[in-house]
Amino acid sequence: MKVSYFETGRYQPPADTPAIWPMPAAAYDTGEGVRVFRGMIERIALAEKLGFDWVSLSEHHYSPRILTPSPAVAAAYVAARVHTIKIALLGPIVSHSNPVRIAEEMAMLDTIADGRLVVGLLRGTPNETLTYDLNPQESRERTDEGMELILKAWTEPQPFAWQGRHFRYRTVSVWPRPLQQPHPPTFALGTSREAGAFAARNRIGLGVSYGPFEVMGKVTAYYREQCAQRGWEPGPDQIIFRANIVLTETDAQAQRAMERYPTRAPFSLAEGVASALSALDTRNIAGEARPASINRALPINFFGGPDTVVDQFRRCREAIGAGVIDLGFNTPGTTDPDALLDALDLFGRTVLPRIRHM
Amino acid sequence: MGLAIRDGSVDADGFRIRYQEAGEGPPVVHLHGAHGLGMTSAHELLSRSFRLIAFEMPGFGATENQKTQRVQDLATTMAAAAEALGLSRFNLIGTSFGGWVASWMAVQRSDLVAALVLDAPSIIRPEGSEPVSGSPEQIARRLYAHPERTPPTPVIEPAMAARRLTLVRRLSGPARDTPLEEGLRRLQIPTLVMFGTQDGVIPAEMGRVYKELIPDAHLVFVYDAGHALMVERPEAFTEVVTDFLERTDAFIISRTKTVVFP
Repeated sequence: MKVSYFETGRYQPPADTPAIWPMPAAAYDTGEGVRVFRGMIERIALAEKLGFDWVSLSEHHYSPRILTPSPAVAAAYVAARVHTIKIALLGPIVSHSNPVRIAEEMAMLDTIADGRLVVGLLRGTPNETLTYDLNPQESRERTDEGMELILKAWTEPQPFAWQGRHFRYRTVSVWPRPLQQPHPPTFALGTSREAGAFAARNRIGLGVSYGPFEVMGKVTAYYREQCAQRGWEPGPDQIIFRANIVLTETDAQAQRAMERYPTRAPFSLAEGVASALSALDTRNIAGEARPASINRALPINFFGGPDTVVDQFRRCREAIGAGVIDLGFNTPGTTDPDALLDALDLFGRTVLPRIRHM
Repeated sequence: MGLAIRDGSVDADGFRIRYQEAGEGPPVVHLHGAHGLGMTSAHELLSRSFRLIAFEMPGFGATENQKTQRVQDLATTMAAAAEALGLSRFNLIGTSFGGWVASWMAVQRSDLVAALVLDAPSIIRPEGSEPVSGSPEQIARRLYAHPERTPPTPVIEPAMAARRLTLVRRLSGPARDTPLEEGLRRLQIPTLVMFGTQDGVIPAEMGRVYKELIPDAHLVFVYDAGHALMVERPEAFTEVVTDFLERTDAFIISRTKTVVFP
């Protein structure tokens, strides 16, 4: 099993910060922002030293929760400062981006990072449709078309025109090309039928996130089935499970920390917006309709002391079959900036060596 | 302009109040700025989706108004005028000085106002700012980012212009209307605050003060427009106002289709 550290650019807003999305820029502290980006390298260097295989970055906007609205910029910064760990962009939000621009930036990054880039492509969380004025009813289709265009832009050796449904280009010819040929390891990220079918059709990996093991197991089973229908079988490294972890020395400490974990998302949309958005934003898990996740806190998937957590990894491996686990480390109840380093260190010492062979 | 305007007047609060009305649909009341009632392309565009009633506030037309002493009293009068027309709940747009009156109306009579649009409101002004006056050319230079692209400002009879200026000066107190600001802090009405990025009368930066004051406010900058948004960018003005009045807070969710080919 490969292990990835999900770096969110941890920004600690003061306790009296309003819990709203979008967060007013007035609430931003420039000094804290500088600390975030310095700390980012410190944490990733530690993860590298502890033997993590990947560091992952993601794209979110307009709030302190994740401070990397441009994951490509963060990845370029990381690539220049840490030298062996793979850098996984999980990922650029395709639905609201210029797909050709994503293809260009990822090709640049792969070259800058000496072929250490991993790319995940996704639709984005419901609130992100508000970021660049994207019609939520079009986000699924734009994602599918955009992902296909990105793969085409990486692999087509001759300039081409794209006569799409949502995108139209009269000429595309991406320079530089990715160092890893034909393209970096690429994943469709999402639990939907469409993401699974797209990944199977294009022979790329699938990344699922945050759901209970059995539910995520259904999603990866659907993906494998789709792959089999197309005559191929994905390897374990082609399935990522992104999850949250609360790891402490003992189970009792984790239990106490979990009691402080919020049930509501730290930054929420106004009620009127949330309800209007959920009416427009349709989602599914391997074809089964589910409500869009709006204003809910993400679950913690692994929690406890080292033995308990190792056990949970075993169950996860059996249920989901993911060969890559991408972990967001949570330290509920503390604002100590070093708590995250301690959590990483504890994981590296007590869990990582015991799940490698799984 | 293909606008079918119905002229009317209504008696309220001791005044005979003139109005112009166009369109069908949910009612929208418009309160004009310091330069009085004038129908624009924006009114025409709004009247395609709404029943638009543009009042002429007392003292801004042919007759003088010596009675009204404070903006909040003018708001009381205008609420009475709307009720006299049988309106019990409506959307309210206030332009510049009319935004001031509209804000007082919303604070005093939140039962009447479904949603509020403050179009370059003049409640909060830079210290020492002066109402716009002068020749049509001078006025156009202050009101528009691009006077050369804008239809000529109608020549106003000097006596009427002087009366309006006197009235606005009398009603405008200091640069901050503290009692109104207190009311706005408690306002529970969805509010859209709009400024042109080139506003030469009230700097667009004033917009953030409203955003900070009003709990449910959205701030809109209209690019490359001066103070008179409805005249200078009518399509841009109407699109966002219509969307906001139809969906209030949910107007931040895009409905724009990007399909180029089916």
